[in-house]
Amino acid sequence: GLTSARAAEILARDGPNALTPPKSTPEIIKFLKQMVGGFSILLWVGAFLCWIAFGIQLAQGVSSAFDNLYLGVVLALVVILTGIFAYYQEAKSTNIMASFSKMIPQQALVIRDAEKKEVPAEQLVVGDVVEIKGGDRIPADIRLIFAQGCKVDNSSLTGESEPQSRSCDFTHENPLETKNIAFYSTTCLEAFLPGTATGMVINTGDHTIIGRIASLASGVGNEKTPIALEIEHFVHIVAGVAVSIGVLFFIIAVSMKYKVLDSIIFLIGIIVANVPEGLLATVTVSLSLTAKRMAKKNCLVKNLEAVETLGSTSIICSDKTGTLTQNRMTVAHLWFDNQIYSADTSEDQTTQSFDQSSQSWPALSKIVALCNRAEFKPGQGNLPIMKRVVVGDASETALLKFSEVVLGDVMDVRKRNRKLAEIPFNSTNKFQLSIHETEDPNDKRFLLVMKGAPERILERCSTIMINGEEKPLDEERAEAFQTAYMELGGLGERVLGFCHLYLPEDEFPDTYPFDTDSMNFPTSNLCFVGLLSMIDPPRSTVPDAVSKCRSAGIKVIMVTGDHPITAKAIAKSVGIISANSETVEDIAKRLNVPVEQVNKEDARAAVINGMELKDMTAEQLDEILINHSEIVFARTSPQQKLIIVEGCQRQDAVVAVTGDGVNDSPALKKADIGIAMGIAGSDAAKNAADMILLDDNFASIVTGVEEGRLIFDNLKKTIAYTLTKNIAELCPFLIYIIASIPLPIGTITILFIDLGTDIIPSVALAYEKAESDIMNRRPRHKKRDRLVNEQLAVYSYLQIGILQSIGAFLAYFTVYAEQGFLPYTLLGLRVNWENDYNNDIEDSYGQEWTRYQRTYLQWTGYTAFFVSITIQQVADLIIRKTRRNSLFQQGLFRNKVIWVGIFSQITIALILCYGLGSVTALNFTPLRVQYWFVAMPYAILIWVYDEIRKLFIRQYPGSWWDKNMYY
Amino acid sequence: RPCSVDRDQSPSFPCTWKAQILIHTCPKFAGVQMEEVLDCINSECPLCLPGLILFFYFVLYLFLAGMFSFCMYMMLLTLSPYTPTHRDRVSPPGVMIRPYLHGFTIAFNVSEPSTWKPYVNSMHHFLQAYNNNVQEEKNIECQAGQYFIQDGAESKEKKACQFKRSQLHSCSGIEDPTFGYSTGQPCILLKMNRIIGYRPGYGTPVSVDCAIQKGNASALRSVDFYPGNGTFDLMYYPYYGKLTHVNYTSPLVAMHFTDVKKNDFVPIQCRLNGEGIVSDVNKDRFLGRITFTLSITM
Repeated sequence: GLTSARAAEILARDGPNALTPPKSTPEIIKFLKQMVGGFSILLWVGAFLCWIAFGIQLAQGVSSAFDNLYLGVVLALVVILTGIFAYYQEAKSTNIMASFSKMIPQQALVIRDAEKKEVPAEQLVVGDVVEIKGGDRIPADIRLIFAQGCKVDNSSLTGESEPQSRSCDFTHENPLETKNIAFYSTTCLEAFLPGTATGMVINTGDHTIIGRIASLASGVGNEKTPIALEIEHFVHIVAGVAVSIGVLFFIIAVSMKYKVLDSIIFLIGIIVANVPEGLLATVTVSLSLTAKRMAKKNCLVKNLEAVETLGSTSIICSDKTGTLTQNRMTVAHLWFDNQIYSADTSEDQTTQSFDQSSQSWPALSKIVALCNRAEFKPGQGNLPIMKRVVVGDASETALLKFSEVVLGDVMDVRKRNRKLAEIPFNSTNKFQLSIHETEDPNDKRFLLVMKGAPERILERCSTIMINGEEKPLDEERAEAFQTAYMELGGLGERVLGFCHLYLPEDEFPDTYPFDTDSMNFPTSNLCFVGLLSMIDPPRSTVPDAVSKCRSAGIKVIMVTGDHPITAKAIAKSVGIISANSETVEDIAKRLNVPVEQVNKEDARAAVINGMELKDMTAEQLDEILINHSEIVFARTSPQQKLIIVEGCQRQDAVVAVTGDGVNDSPALKKADIGIAMGIAGSDAAKNAADMILLDDNFASIVTGVEEGRLIFDNLKKTIAYTLTKNIAELCPFLIYIIASIPLPIGTITILFIDLGTDIIPSVALAYEKAESDIMNRRPRHKKRDRLVNEQLAVYSYLQIGILQSIGAFLAYFTVYAEQGFLPYTLLGLRVNWENDYNNDIEDSYGQEWTRYQRTYLQWTGYTAFFVSITIQQVADLIIRKTRRNSLFQQGLFRNKVIWVGIFSQITIALILCYGLGSVTALNFTPLRVQYWFVAMPYAILIWVYDEIRKLFIRQYPGSWWDKNMYY
Repeated sequence: RPCSVDRDQSPSFPCTWKAQILIHTCPKFAGVQMEEVLDCINSECPLCLPGLILFFYFVLYLFLAGMFSFCMYMMLLTLSPYTPTHRDRVSPPGVMIRPYLHGFTIAFNVSEPSTWKPYVNSMHHFLQAYNNNVQEEKNIECQAGQYFIQDGAESKEKKACQFKRSQLHSCSGIEDPTFGYSTGQPCILLKMNRIIGYRPGYGTPVSVDCAIQKGNASALRSVDFYPGNGTFDLMYYPYYGKLTHVNYTSPLVAMHFTDVKKNDFVPIQCRLNGEGIVSDVNKDRFLGRITFTLSITM
């Protein structure tokens, strides 16, 4: 090996043998981003305007100057607090991930200074000689110089879970294919006989194949999530309205001869009234509530916004192994007595129900149990058979479990039929053989059992067992075998043949020395017993989930590294290719014409081979994606997965990609939502993904989609609810400026609505149940179905919002009128009203008021306005429960959180009004009880009006009303 | 447009607003003549799709305006035209002074008439309503020392008691039309805010006194109060409101600052004394008291 000095030198040159972690944004930048994103800029502008106004007023010696200072501070606090909140939420979801990426530092056994040493894998350098044993993770890309029984699991690299043997032979030009190179982060399998290998490090760190894939992944840009775009769009709308109304009224105010300073203060009021300060925090909370709910259903969301992305998904590119399938070989079919039997392949099988009465069955089952080297790891007696850990390869494991289910204790069977000799499976023989004593003490014959590739086994047989009797293997019977073999193979299953032979007692006495090297026993003229076929079966929940996806308008595309035949078989069994659809090849076969003559548009399904995909142009791929609704990509490489995702995205689809291997990480990153597998997934995949399926189950995606769609609908409701009262907050300022009445509601009071009474109710809408079966409609179109559309804004602003304003103004006028200021007196009163020196303003009855008496009355007006908005927001909350259905269809009490919201709203209002009414700075006063009811008729009107709206929408779908009133 | 109608049919009905709505919602409205729709399409009404939405909002806002007016009307109906429903916020009374020119600092130079002329003008203007002949003509003489309670129907016009300018003696501006400003002994009038039905002092007349607010008490050596040592006579109360108590003039107390420190800012606080009068609320510096600054330059 290398000397330590030389190793240190190379280490200094190449850097440590570790993947460079993706560049992460510094925390402070993330934090600052939260401070300036969304509405924050507007509020900062408001705060700075406040401070400027404060400065000028202070210089002029105006007594109320400090109000502006406080307001500015409050606005800044609002921005900072919501920023901290958003940052905290983001940090929390990032932390979930941090726990995933923590890895135990890996050690490697390396030869340095001619001594074996344990060093951390990070310190390996090119040229080091390392030793690997079964169960180890390969510490770097190495070229093997010695290997014995070494098999590697390259699944994290290629996605294929089939173990591949490794030796020192150079077998292929392509480093990915050759047998003498083992790759970083793959595992050396802990086989029955632990394999060992020694190799020389040829690449370290980012130069390894994995490192290159990882850098490919980090090169893929992270695009904004659909919901982020929607929220941006919504912020633009609201900010646009705020700025344009603000500027418009600034100009109006200036041209009405208001002082510029006053106009600036109006501008601040308009901005504060227009910006829903609490909304972004509410959205974050709603998303994280959904994220929590999804985590309970085994979807762990890394990036909060991904919650909704899943809901708008229109194409899912799913992996096959482990996601759609159970990721373990299972016996699916049997053939004996010229008949095919189906075995139970479900996850929790305890018995097999196929017909076991035939005489051939005991013979076959015995071969299956005996001709098998796999064993259960000890101490698992209590576990269900399917969950037990087995030492042995995938097929043997499947057969062992199968026999354990049908025969009971296989170990006991083997004990009773003691094994005398055995030839393990190898790729030249393509069979496995063992010789046993029989359990019948009277039968002194030996039993030779053999299994292997069916055609090879058949070659060695001269008879075949039919109904327990040996019959000569004639043409007809061989034909039947061929048919069955073809049929099972056509299902994408791996088929094994089984045969046996009772060795005659006279030729092979008790003491006969069996020698596996010289094969001093017959291996031909055996008796063929049957076929067993195995497959990695689909998970039982998947077909249902796929059909749900289909009815939800989501296209499920299978992308796998597996064989086209297996892929197609699994696709058919889970419904990705539905029972009655055909591929071009199927049609060609049915019509008996060449493939080229088939009209491609007739074929709903398509199975595309990776080799075909390689030669396709982007247009051809687009054509396939558009023309076929059921697509399977087989034998694909990591790069091709990326190409497929890009192709889907060109169709304006929101693409979800599932994956587990390192090779999937570029595609996961490129996808709109990358879904990594929690159990089988590699760290690289989990890092690149937005979401992690804790149970690796495709069906969990469907529940995720449902939650995602629900939250989109509910966010719409939340936003509609929140936007409505902005008009009721804005109108007072506008009328104050135009009609010069005493200010109906103060800026601080507005903040108490936005950040006080309205917060819990708007979160409560996130708990609303779906109005109809959301899994029966098409996914939303990214560009057409907006979160905040014109109808929503117009209905909230111009209809319900105006209604609310009118109700609140009624309360305002009532308060003033009952104290002596009749409405007509109020008009134009503003200048005198706000004059600090004028302490004998006459009301409509001739009474005279001091400045403070007026201010107190003004605060009473604020409180009445505030209370009226709150009361009407209760009605608004109730109508927002549904967008189309009547409240009575939805049920008033199904969402209990709404009632918590209403209760909190009223309680907060009561506390502000009566509890904090004496705190001057808050501008609340204890209000006469009757004023709480002034806006009540308008609250009822809001509800009745909305019910009528919904009634017409339901009655006349597609009508003018529906188009304009449904949001 | 969801509705497809045969355009060849000739119009036979006048185009109605109903048809306008139907164009966009038909044919599902039951019991409506299709002809109306046809007619409307054929006669190419100006109210089309954008027109309809404007029309919708016009109707909606008309309805809302109607409902608002109705509610306001109902609310106003509950109010009495003579007495406000609540008077808790306007009482106890506040206090104001005259002359009043944008603030509470009365600063002038005796030798420069232009500096005190505006104050004098303001006083004269204010006292117009108190001219003896005006008072004698419009108001009656009342019995001093007791409230002038006028029972009977609320709507009946109420009589007001005379408060003659001459009662202010040296501050009446009759003998000295400059109210003492020309000699550095200014008069300031003090007025209690009007409150309907309020009976100040509960039987004992409310009186006024003045003192230096902060600083050396010797800066204010003597003040004369008119009428009657600076009291508001009970006969001027209660006030019955602008509608029925048409000729009511608020009683005044004139304060004649005959000896105030000159060439200095002298902060003076005058307060009302009497039962039920509140003059110590921190937030309201005009409730039962008033603070102003005299700055007389010789």
